[in-house]
Amino acid sequence: MKARKVKGLDPEMPLADAAERILQVRLDELCGFAPRALDPAQGAAQHDMRIAAKRLRYVLELTAPFLGAYAATATKRARALQGLLGDVHDCDVLLSRVRAAGVRPGLVALEEHVVARRAELFERFVERWRELEREGFRDRLERALVEREAPLPSCPSPG
Amino acid sequence: MARALEVAGLSGGEPFRLAAARVVAVRGEEVFAHADGVLDVDDVERVHDMRVATRRLRAALEIFAPCFPRSLHREVLRDVKRLADALGERRDPDVQIQALERFAAEATAGAEVRPAVETLTAQLRDEQARGNATLAAALEEARRTHLRGRLHALNQAAGVPA
Repeated sequence: MKARKVKGLDPEMPLADAAERILQVRLDELCGFAPRALDPAQGAAQHDMRIAAKRLRYVLELTAPFLGAYAATATKRARALQGLLGDVHDCDVLLSRVRAAGVRPGLVALEEHVVARRAELFERFVERWRELEREGFRDRLERALVEREAPLPSCPSPG
Repeated sequence: MARALEVAGLSGGEPFRLAAARVVAVRGEEVFAHADGVLDVDDVERVHDMRVATRRLRAALEIFAPCFPRSLHREVLRDVKRLADALGERRDPDVQIQALERFAAEATAGAEVRPAVETLTAQLRDEQARGNATLAAALEEARRTHLRGRLHALNQAAGVPA
């Protein structure tokens, strides 16, 4: 999934302002995959959502310290979401391999086991996404993007 | 998994391009710091750590792309992606072997999945060996084309005002 280009970036602009623009685009990308990715049959959408979560997370890891407080929380949320979708993806990869292996002893049982595991992980992902919606993840992160960490008060000079 | 090194002194008010130079410098050095022993098939965590570091470097190059000279940035990003792909080819079989071993160990799986697990694990070990050869070639290519030096040149260029 190609990342959407971020407009209006200037090498001389403050890092926090650049981060605000980049994160808004990355957040839009992530949220754009719902509700399609919440359909268990939409493996491609889940894969793309995982990539989007990863891109959002990498920018947040660098820039959350000088944005609003919720940016740090959003970093953890993005990491957890990426992890869950990664586990789902690992099952998909393993299932492809199992199904391509032909007829061998134990493969049917293994396939059933992986399918069940995938379903369980997918349910956890859906529940996690619903929690993010209830928590107001998108709105809260958008507000944090326009906040700036308050500068520390300067020490009065002696004398 | 190794945590990302902190980029010391990063601040929201500093110019985007100066942050670019500093972040890519740190992320670049992390990649090469994890290269030692990465071809040792008995220590799968090394390849995992280098792969994660390469992903972070790639992400940083993409985030800060407007701050770098376009042509040099394009080449460096292409070569970092190639290295990342080679690390993936080596790492992906490890992930699947670990998943199969977990399935085999789970109480509900039963002895019936064991023959399938052994067959697939053997296939994955072959892929692991091929992935290792691909990674060895990619590391040599990165060395031969001075990828580390080109990253440094990229950072130097970003540090200079337009």
